Amino acid sequence: MADHDVKAPSESRVVLPVDPARRTEIDKQRVPMSARPYRLLALVKQDAVVRVQKEPDDTVMTWPHLLSIEFLAAGMMSILLLLMGLFINAPLEELANSNVTPAVAKAPWYFLGLQELLAYFHPVVAGVLVPGFVFMGGALLPYIDRGNIHATRMADRKTAVVLFTMLWLLGLTLTFVAIFFRGPGYSFTIPYLPFFPNSIDGFHFAL
Amino acid sequence: MSFLERMDETLRRSVVWRSLFRQPYANDERSRAYAVMNNVFLHIHPVRVRQHAVKFAYTFCLGGLSFFLFLVLTITGVYLMFFYVPSATQAYTDILDIQTKVAFGLLTRNIHRWGAHLMVFFVFLHMMRVFYHGAYKPPREFNWVVGVVLLFTTILLSFSGYLLPWDQIAYWAITIGTNMGGYLPLFNTPVNRLLLGGLEVGQNTLLRFYVLHIMFLPLVAAIFLAVHFWRIRKDGGISGPL
Ligand code: HEM
Repeated sequence: MADHDVKAPSESRVVLPVDPARRTEIDKQRVPMSARPYRLLALVKQDAVVRVQKEPDDTVMTWPHLLSIEFLAAGMMSILLLLMGLFINAPLEELANSNVTPAVAKAPWYFLGLQELLAYFHPVVAGVLVPGFVFMGGALLPYIDRGNIHATRMADRKTAVVLFTMLWLLGLTLTFVAIFFRGPGYSFTIPYLPFFPNSIDGFHFAL
Repeated sequence: MSFLERMDETLRRSVVWRSLFRQPYANDERSRAYAVMNNVFLHIHPVRVRQHAVKFAYTFCLGGLSFFLFLVLTITGVYLMFFYVPSATQAYTDILDIQTKVAFGLLTRNIHRWGAHLMVFFVFLHMMRVFYHGAYKPPREFNWVVGVVLLFTTILLSFSGYLLPWDQIAYWAITIGTNMGGYLPLFNTPVNRLLLGGLEVGQNTLLRFYVLHIMFLPLVAAIFLAVHFWRIRKDGGISGPL
């Protein structure tokens, strides 16, 4: 490798060695200054705007190739929002009243998985450990999954894919139960099916 | 030539188009490069992008649409702010007035509400797409972390906005939500008290949530969005199939 046949660095400045298997294109360009047989005199603009590892001919012009897709997507989203806004009204109930507890109070949908957990576990587990674990684990994911960095196809990273998929399926299931199967007093209910003893007519949920 | 390109060509050759625009539409590379480079909004993009990055089926535009929703929410939110006072005695009537008396008030409130839910949903979907592509792998580890902060901020933005209509849904959803957060050890009482400004949801809570919702959290989101977009380019553009 080019870095090795140059004389040993005279300064003590150390550039962190990167495991060759984990070196990205950007790492390859990060040659330690002290390992170079020349000095940095000036910074010159790089000639290509994007850094590509292959020949530059695998690029296309941003206008129109990317921007037309973006504008189209934004247009579709605007139409969707307009239709929703015209035909579905945002919910609004009576004035807030701390003395009138509703039959069942539910958190917004993205917190419902946690609220559902609260029905099974001690609050410290459901309210602290689980969300803390998910949040920290989520943020640190790239530093936990230290597998082959070139394995981007799903078949090459089964553990990560299976674990992640199970996690969000679990979250989705909990949320689903909390939305449709929780009635007065957060008891287990079954919507719309009167032949069940614990059935209620509809479900308690507001967006 | 793709279908869109042929459409484009036919349109530009048509009599109507040529009567409307007296100069020909320049489609040489140089003009196309300038179209992006000389526009303050468009030059968030490089002039050229790698081919796979523009495939709709790669990103599904999920990140882009999350950002678009953020912009829509900012604009509709500013309009709503003109008619809303964060006071426990006035907020609810203000919402009623927005729905009945303000021009396009109902529509604006509806779009703001549905846009907010959609944004949380799209950010989740975007995260999944990034995960399944393994796009958090080096050199993009840090941008994933920035993304997690953005997800958290997005959820907090939605949650803080949820209280503002000051109706029964809002009041009790926030009561439940803050109770759950109240189990955080270490700063158990302080965090809850700080957020609520008291022992239960009240006027202080409304004011705090309002300030978080319309100023603090949007600023945090804007800063992290800037870092997120900057890092996409510094990390070599959108990840690609190798
Ligand atoms: C407010 C929320 C967010 C916005 C507006 C946003 C926006 C974007 C945009 C526009 C892109 C370009 C590619 C694409 O559209 O997919 C992108 C890429 C990326 N985002 Fe986000 N993002 C957000 C949240 C997140 C979250 C929650 C994560 C992960 C936890 C994340 C991680 C990433 C990563 C790693 C990339 C690079 C993907 C690649 O190179 O293929 N972002 N983001």
